Amino acid sequence: MRKIASEPEQSAGEPCAREPREERGRITLKPGEPRPLFFTGKHRKRDRHSRHRVAFFHFRSYGPAFRYFAEQVLDADYVPTPTPTRATIERGAEMSADYVCTPFKHIMGDYVAALDAGADVLVQVTGFCRLNYYGELAEMILRDAGYEDFRMLNFSDVATGKVRDYVAYCKKVVNPDLSIAHGVKSLYGAYRMVEHIDAVRDRYLANAAFEVEPGSFDRVRRSFLSDMDAAQTNMDIEAGFRRAMDAFDALPLDKPEHPVRVGIVGEYYTAQDPTSNLDVERKLLDLGVEVSNCMSISRFNLHYNAEASRAAIAEYSSYDMGPTSTFNIAWAKRYAEEGYDGIIHIKSAGCTPEIDVMPVLQRLSRDYRVPVLFLTFDTQTSDAGLDTRLEAFYDMIAMRKVRS
Amino acid sequence: MSLEFGQRADLVDVRRVGIPRALLYYRYGIAWRTFFEQLGREVVLDEPSDRGTLEVGDRLSVDECCLASKLFLGHVSALIDAGVDAVFVPSLMGYGRFDTFCTKFQALPDLAANAFAVAGRPVRIISLRIDELHGETEEAAFKGLAARFGASRKEAARAYKAARAAQRSYDEAMAREQEKLVKSLGKLPVAERPLTILVAAHPYVSHDPFVGGVVEDALRDLGACVLFADETDRARALKRSYEFSHSIPWIVNRELIGSILMLHEHIDGIVLMSAYPCGPDSMADDAIERCIKGKPILTLTVDAQAGTAGVETRVESFVDILSYQKKGGYLNA
Repeated sequence: MRKIASEPEQSAGEPCAREPREERGRITLKPGEPRPLFFTGKHRKRDRHSRHRVAFFHFRSYGPAFRYFAEQVLDADYVPTPTPTRATIERGAEMSADYVCTPFKHIMGDYVAALDAGADVLVQVTGFCRLNYYGELAEMILRDAGYEDFRMLNFSDVATGKVRDYVAYCKKVVNPDLSIAHGVKSLYGAYRMVEHIDAVRDRYLANAAFEVEPGSFDRVRRSFLSDMDAAQTNMDIEAGFRRAMDAFDALPLDKPEHPVRVGIVGEYYTAQDPTSNLDVERKLLDLGVEVSNCMSISRFNLHYNAEASRAAIAEYSSYDMGPTSTFNIAWAKRYAEEGYDGIIHIKSAGCTPEIDVMPVLQRLSRDYRVPVLFLTFDTQTSDAGLDTRLEAFYDMIAMRKVRS
Repeated sequence: MSLEFGQRADLVDVRRVGIPRALLYYRYGIAWRTFFEQLGREVVLDEPSDRGTLEVGDRLSVDECCLASKLFLGHVSALIDAGVDAVFVPSLMGYGRFDTFCTKFQALPDLAANAFAVAGRPVRIISLRIDELHGETEEAAFKGLAARFGASRKEAARAYKAARAAQRSYDEAMAREQEKLVKSLGKLPVAERPLTILVAAHPYVSHDPFVGGVVEDALRDLGACVLFADETDRARALKRSYEFSHSIPWIVNRELIGSILMLHEHIDGIVLMSAYPCGPDSMADDAIERCIKGKPILTLTVDAQAGTAGVETRVESFVDILSYQKKGGYLNA
């Protein structure tokens, strides 16, 4: 039986049973780290970091946000996907079916490049139309091509669409130890970063054509993106954004009172991604045009009011015609109403929903008397034809502007 | 859409309803026809597709549209010429997270309305929306439409029920027929068994005489027994397809894949047919070619330009290969 009351010789305050006179001096040495005398309530932080190397596909300038998501939210290593080259794109096109939509080919190329760079987790998002099936098919193709040692973080696997299940899925695939508290905080940071990246882009597109010192806007944009890429905390993100906006404010500008303005609408990926659309935005800026691109993660995913858009275009479409159709038609109408001089509709080859939007835009173009240029992009890499068409379009809308 | 019986009967004046013989007519046509007939309307169908339909449709469409969609606009145009009061074009989204239709079917009513508006021939379109994932059920959609035709609650329910039953009994009959055929083939001695080939394609491709008819005829002429992947027990096929893939989002492709799996041991070869450029097929066919092993697969893409000669040659050589293989390889033939 255990004794409950302590024996006198065992009690805490009892001195060692030695004669005090015997203790003159003593040398002790114990191995290990110094520790406080009493328990201070502090645990050493558990190492929650996952050694998985996460990679995303290339998508416009959202790389820093993807990095922040991988490093801070998932708490894993991040492998930056190499900048797509001609070889990357060709590799992707080779591995995909002929007439699958073009973003899939670009993403395949990126995945191969990322795996070659040492990634072992590939992320694919879910959403609409063919995108739902991107992850599974990409994984199948990669495994058939002999890439074995990787996992997919494919959000289509979460069939329920509940936040709780997404978290459980991330834990299962990437990091079982991820901290929810830190993850939520950092997810907010990533959200803000996406908003900032889009705000900087919009500012850049509106003004870069009228810069006094050539290349100054691009310089600010680049340094902003590298700040974002280096961000470790939510504070870094906000500070970097403020710095970029201040820098934009300080740049000298020579903007005419009524510049030629062009609005870009179109398919989610191709309309935004400069690799896919042969940097159509840059080409327009070089022609001296104020550009507005309606498509961005913040506009379409974070701040989209579907009801209002639907109501705005009720005369043109009675139902949602596709995932981004209502959004695009509403923005095209808005551009037309705001007096933009031209609208450019961008899509990838074979994009069904955007093809279906085209008759609506044709009608809108006639009703509002605003020219619409339809551009389709496949994995081609030559941009001479594009230059000619953009120049012709610019000449036409500039002439119309002078006449009116 | 809430049901407001007797209040929003804005379609009472529509006496002749046109149904284009294209796209999902080949899947739901019987239900649609029965539904409007139950409401006491005259249903007008146009002629099956031919080159003329395609030419008209091609002129009305954006160049990059798929062949089936061009044919669809051709059919709508034929109905307008036939003098119908309105054309029925539903907007079908889907029945669940991974049981959806191609976005084309979602866009159809607005696509048709805008394409004809651009061409200067406005058309009156009757539509309904089915999007069960977001609460717009098939039943509510049909009853809501009946209400707009001035039907009472009871009439609406009866029309919907009759439509459903008619379509179901037709589908079941087709599935039973095919099952019987498969069984009787199985009873034949191996040497006498004809080459059995499964045609897997969207119903508006495989059953449209202008598109898939050529392939079916060519196969039959060569003495093959033709099975259709869309004429099976759809519910079972759909369930089976989840073994193949969890995230493929299209219900029709799911059913085709499920049928291929169900019939796999009874067939000698598969013909995958798609109308150029079909979005869902571009991915699903790739997956089928990668994963359905052990049976030869011929992938045929039918587009607007090609005549039938090219298709016939391909089918012929495919059948030749299969029959040689059946006899034990080229050396034993």
